Amino acid sequence: MKHKILEILNKLNTPGITFADARITRTDQEHIYFQNGFMRGYNSSLDSLALGIRVLIDGCWGFAGTRQFSAASIERTIKKATSNAVHGSKFQKHKVAFSPIRPVLADQDCRPDLNPFQMPTDEKIARLQKIAELIKPRNQIVYSYCYGVFFRQEKYYGSTEGTLTSQSYFNALPTMSVLASDGNQVQSRTWPGHFAAGRGGFELFDQHGFEANTQRIMKEAVDLLSAPGVDDEKADLIIGGGHLALQLHESIGHATEADRIFGMEISYAGKTFIKPEMIGSLRYGSDVINVYSDSTDSRGLGSHPVDDEGVPGRRIDIIKNGILVNQQTSRDIAARLGLQPSSNMRASYGDDFPLVRMTNLCLAPASGSLDDLIAETEKGYLVDFTKTWSIDDNRNNFQFTTEIGWKIKNGRIVGIVKEPTYYGITTEFWNACDRICGPQEWKYHGTFHCGKGEPGQIMQLSHGVAPARFRNVVVNVKA
Amino acid sequence: MENDIVRHLSTKLSSYPEWKHHATLLDWQSDFYRFYNSETNYNITKRNLSLDVTLYKGKRSFSFSIDDPAPAKIDRSLACALAIIDSLPEDPDFVDLETDQTVKPAKPKPNNVELLNLDSKISILNEISRVADKHGFDLFGTFICNYQHTRLINSNGLDKEQWASPIYFEVKAVRRSNQVTVLQTFGGERFDRFDLHDWMAELEHKLILAGLEVVDVEPGEYEVILAPRCAAEFLQYLSHGMSAHSYDQKNSYFQNSLGQQVFPPNITIRDDPEDEDIISFDYNDDGHVYRPLTLVDQGVFQNFLCGNYYAYKTGLRKNGNTGSCLVLQSGDADMDSMIRSVRKGLYISSLHYMNFINPKETTVTGLTRDGTFLIEDGVITKVVNNLRYTEKIARIFESITALERQGQTTPFSGNYEFFDITSSKTPHVLVSKFNITSSTRTI
Repeated sequence: MKHKILEILNKLNTPGITFADARITRTDQEHIYFQNGFMRGYNSSLDSLALGIRVLIDGCWGFAGTRQFSAASIERTIKKATSNAVHGSKFQKHKVAFSPIRPVLADQDCRPDLNPFQMPTDEKIARLQKIAELIKPRNQIVYSYCYGVFFRQEKYYGSTEGTLTSQSYFNALPTMSVLASDGNQVQSRTWPGHFAAGRGGFELFDQHGFEANTQRIMKEAVDLLSAPGVDDEKADLIIGGGHLALQLHESIGHATEADRIFGMEISYAGKTFIKPEMIGSLRYGSDVINVYSDSTDSRGLGSHPVDDEGVPGRRIDIIKNGILVNQQTSRDIAARLGLQPSSNMRASYGDDFPLVRMTNLCLAPASGSLDDLIAETEKGYLVDFTKTWSIDDNRNNFQFTTEIGWKIKNGRIVGIVKEPTYYGITTEFWNACDRICGPQEWKYHGTFHCGKGEPGQIMQLSHGVAPARFRNVVVNVKA
Repeated sequence: MENDIVRHLSTKLSSYPEWKHHATLLDWQSDFYRFYNSETNYNITKRNLSLDVTLYKGKRSFSFSIDDPAPAKIDRSLACALAIIDSLPEDPDFVDLETDQTVKPAKPKPNNVELLNLDSKISILNEISRVADKHGFDLFGTFICNYQHTRLINSNGLDKEQWASPIYFEVKAVRRSNQVTVLQTFGGERFDRFDLHDWMAELEHKLILAGLEVVDVEPGEYEVILAPRCAAEFLQYLSHGMSAHSYDQKNSYFQNSLGQQVFPPNITIRDDPEDEDIISFDYNDDGHVYRPLTLVDQGVFQNFLCGNYYAYKTGLRKNGNTGSCLVLQSGDADMDSMIRSVRKGLYISSLHYMNFINPKETTVTGLTRDGTFLIEDGVITKVVNNLRYTEKIARIFESITALERQGQTTPFSGNYEFFDITSSKTPHVLVSKFNITSSTRTI
């Protein structure tokens, strides 16, 4: 594939083209789905090749992608990318420009403990079937499912600057869920929650303790049917790691994607409340808040040798001791902001246009265990397992509901509550954080489904977090 | 090319008479222009030919997808399926494949990817940009044309094809001084129904309103006018509960409502592929013919959206509809009288990031965006910061007191999976009770 990339780049090394890059991805996916105890689907897509060519002509990007690899199709794709840049430049004021970077030659290969594409089919099915049978509907459990999505991608990238890299990795998304009904209402519980994906293979099912938690989620779903709701106006919230990953994702992750500052996502995903002049001075959160983007950590779904425009993987601080210090950027946007590019340009497949995307965006741990934090909380709730999420197009006003909450009184859990819902304004909320648990509670939580861009791309990425406490949060939201 | 692929697949499968199959061959192309700050962001051209096949042996099934499906790739995938399928567990809920043989007359559609090239799009945008600039606004948005041809075959003798040529043109005009945003959209398959002059006049009216003072409002219950785009989005979310899948999960708001009065008599909802403004489909993904279906007739719930599998599973009547062509029947009100009737309320242009809190109760939360306005004593007086609502969609439909005389088509793109474009048609609606729960404090 590197040979094909070089052939394409050779054709694009012409005086009129300021910069060009080409990516090829080869992707395998398997999705095995059980519903109500029985297998409902085994879907396989193997060896799917995609090519994308991006060219910069007269300060304007042109892009074309294809999944057809005949010589004629590749030739058409080159011509179309070029023509899109030439015609697109007729409606342009700002010319895209950035400094050259030193070429990178690198190859990265991450392999799982249990390669799902080499495991015997019988074994995969048997292990998923066992989980499916354990959560099969009975009594007030009326519906259940479990599934595994297994993903392997090879990516080849080259640019006219001389960068040429390859990367190969495996990611997996294991999930199970049950739905309980009393005839009037329904309540659900999932495991291991909304951010269940990780780098690796079938071993993720073991790491998340699926079989050991089947009884737990069924009992909790049924108990939620008769559980009270939250009746406080405001409360202290301890947010568990699975849900805190989403809180971080929505209110810091997307907010610090710098393409939003310039309105590049207004047409779909939205803007950000952040302005360029806030970088270096905005108090985003309390002193305990340290957030960084780290595309060098191979444990996360967002690691890479270079991003999708050739910037080597980096770790950068986004928020340092509560102050906003940097942004997730592309090369063009970094230049406009006077920053170094952060290695956050990513595209889902070869034929997708790269966008500013999260990689491994993490909240640094502080100290102490979750048990300690609960014991130190006089009155409040522990909430986890995302049910509903929503945030405005400036990433300023969010409202989340979790599947379950645990009421805390005098440092002890005294019962569960259903559908705890809280609302906040981003910087006020992060400034209300007074404690973050330590490294022993810190884990990566990943997703396969971060949507952005048009045509839409769903990205795989990770967040490292430990549970944290937020003081005096609004929890009285009712329909 | 497509015929060769289908012929090769059919020939291969004829060697395995005990297998059943369903296959979809999709030739898809997109020309996707995205602009910001009244200039090009990027233009993307993509094309893909893909084949999705599900094989059934008894009650066992296996599916595979192939991009650029050359015969050698099909042979490899079939060999893989052959090696696996006997080891898979049976699905006791297996349902025989679609048997509906109804064929609509073939309707190839003009390819809008070719008809509306990049230069044409830029020419239109230049005209709009001149008007926006005069009022101090920049343009952000997308101008997309897709073209797709789908061939559906199965082992019950079904062999059908359909075309789609959707256009999605959306302009967000953002005021340079304070970021106040207004939205103007065109969607459908026929660009000859796009009247640039009228479209720009409507946009310019919004640009003038966007110059009003910006204020915040307190949380509480408001009378609101929902723009067609908002009504369409609420309608789409409501339709989740109208699916047989939701009924099977016992998670539908309409669980025991067939034949019951669920909304006021002014509410009639259809899934209507024959409405001339809608992006239409001849068949659903199983190959069942797609016909107009009344879901709610004068407030009475009439039908669930029900395909082959769930008809068997639930006993509901099969209609093959999927809710891809939703139409909320317009009423007899005109916009001016609707606005005049509001003493203190809101005009909401568009919604953002809506999600269910409780689907069975239709409880959602979400936000307004791209132009929220305060109405005082029958006049739009101010721009309002974006607001959060937490509401039951069923209550919104119960509270609709007036519907505009004509509907508008809103295109929606499927951004989380295959990039598809569908549409809904809805009028402006006046809602007597709408629960605003907080302000975003930003525009």
